[in-house]
Amino acid sequence: MKKILFLLAIAFISCSKDHPVDEDGLLITSRAECYVSNFELLGVDFQTVRTKNAVIDTTACTIDVTVFYGTDLKNLYPQFTLVTDAKLDPKITGKVDFSDLTNPKSYTVISGNRKVRKTYKVLITVQSK
Amino acid sequence: MRNIVIILLLLVTACKDKDYTVPVPKDALQNDCIKRTLGPNVAGLNIEFAYAMALPLTKGKIISAQVEASIAGAAGTYLENKSYYTNGSGVDVGIQVGDPSVNENNFTKVNFTKDTNAVTLRYYYIIPKEAQGKSVTFTFSAKSSDGEAVSYKMGPYVISKMDIVLDLPVKDGDFISIADMAVYNATDAATKTDKLDLVYLFRSIPNISFGHALVSPGGEPEYLPDVILPAGANKITKISKVWNLRDFHLARLQYGIYIDDLDFEQLKMSDAPDYAINLKSEAGVWIETADGKYRAYIYINKADDAKKSAVISMKRYMLK
Repeated sequence: MKKILFLLAIAFISCSKDHPVDEDGLLITSRAECYVSNFELLGVDFQTVRTKNAVIDTTACTIDVTVFYGTDLKNLYPQFTLVTDAKLDPKITGKVDFSDLTNPKSYTVISGNRKVRKTYKVLITVQSK
Repeated sequence: MRNIVIILLLLVTACKDKDYTVPVPKDALQNDCIKRTLGPNVAGLNIEFAYAMALPLTKGKIISAQVEASIAGAAGTYLENKSYYTNGSGVDVGIQVGDPSVNENNFTKVNFTKDTNAVTLRYYYIIPKEAQGKSVTFTFSAKSSDGEAVSYKMGPYVISKMDIVLDLPVKDGDFISIADMAVYNATDAATKTDKLDLVYLFRSIPNISFGHALVSPGGEPEYLPDVILPAGANKITKISKVWNLRDFHLARLQYGIYIDDLDFEQLKMSDAPDYAINLKSEAGVWIETADGKYRAYIYINKADDAKKSAVISMKRYMLK
């Protein structure tokens, strides 16, 4: 009997540890870092449309990317690489229309502790002749 | 203790090897068949089978083999009259066993001229245009000198609705018609303006990558630099670039990828642009014609910058 009680006590202790998750079922951690570390932009053929690496300004929260002449801006797949435990809002679920160059798309990075939010603007420049 | 002895005894029994016995062949004419081609069955291409037949030496020899197709094969359909073996260098060497096959209506027949007890003959069925969208079945049969006959049914195989055309050469300024599955030069194009779906062009423009391009004649003039269009050529064709889709029928490379009818049916082209520039060899484009009648996949077999030309192959599917 004493043994069973002991085992139950151990089980209770191991279960009681708090692992909070957010509305997406993702672990909320203690990390407060909140930035984009890399950015990629793919065309419908899943090949990059960038002419060079995207310039990410983590202070101004902008991503400057120059794309090839003739890129179909209506059908692009953006790919964000974020700091550990961070997540992106809105989520990228498929092709994104970047054709309205005057109103750049915005994406918010949310830190691992879900307390810091930074909104990045994706500024696209099309390579000119 | 007694339990352990029983277990040990069981183990000994279980490990005892069975004596191998050479299987006894059936004392009759037998046959078997496999389909060798993979992927969708497209009109103009073939379906290849290997038909094997054999009987014991004491029973006689094979006198004939034939195939009946539910839809007669197109010209070029034949049943091999050679039996092949692979020699030490890996080369298939054919031994003639009968007369060349004869096609008569739906039948393809080989009469044997050599004493043969066992043979595998290849059958190449060239898919006829009239079989598109239908199913075709095959009955393989063989007869032996002792009066026995065997048969083997294969199929049904659905024949794709797609059309295919291979290796069309295009040069800068040529026009492509999806309806005709043909390439027209500027002179011919002037008389067929209602059929011109795409312009092929090659441009080498400093600072940008334009290269080989397929552009709608009615699209943005920006992507048709210095192109002279025939009056009335103004179709806006939807074009979507693809990479790594080297269809086996079109590319004839080592990749076992096949575009089937379903791919065309499920394709989403509503927001596709009307141009594709900077195309490379082994790339491709999905196409939807302006009237929505056809969808096609154009594969670039070869792109030659110096000659400003390319070689393309096309699969086309009629939607309406």
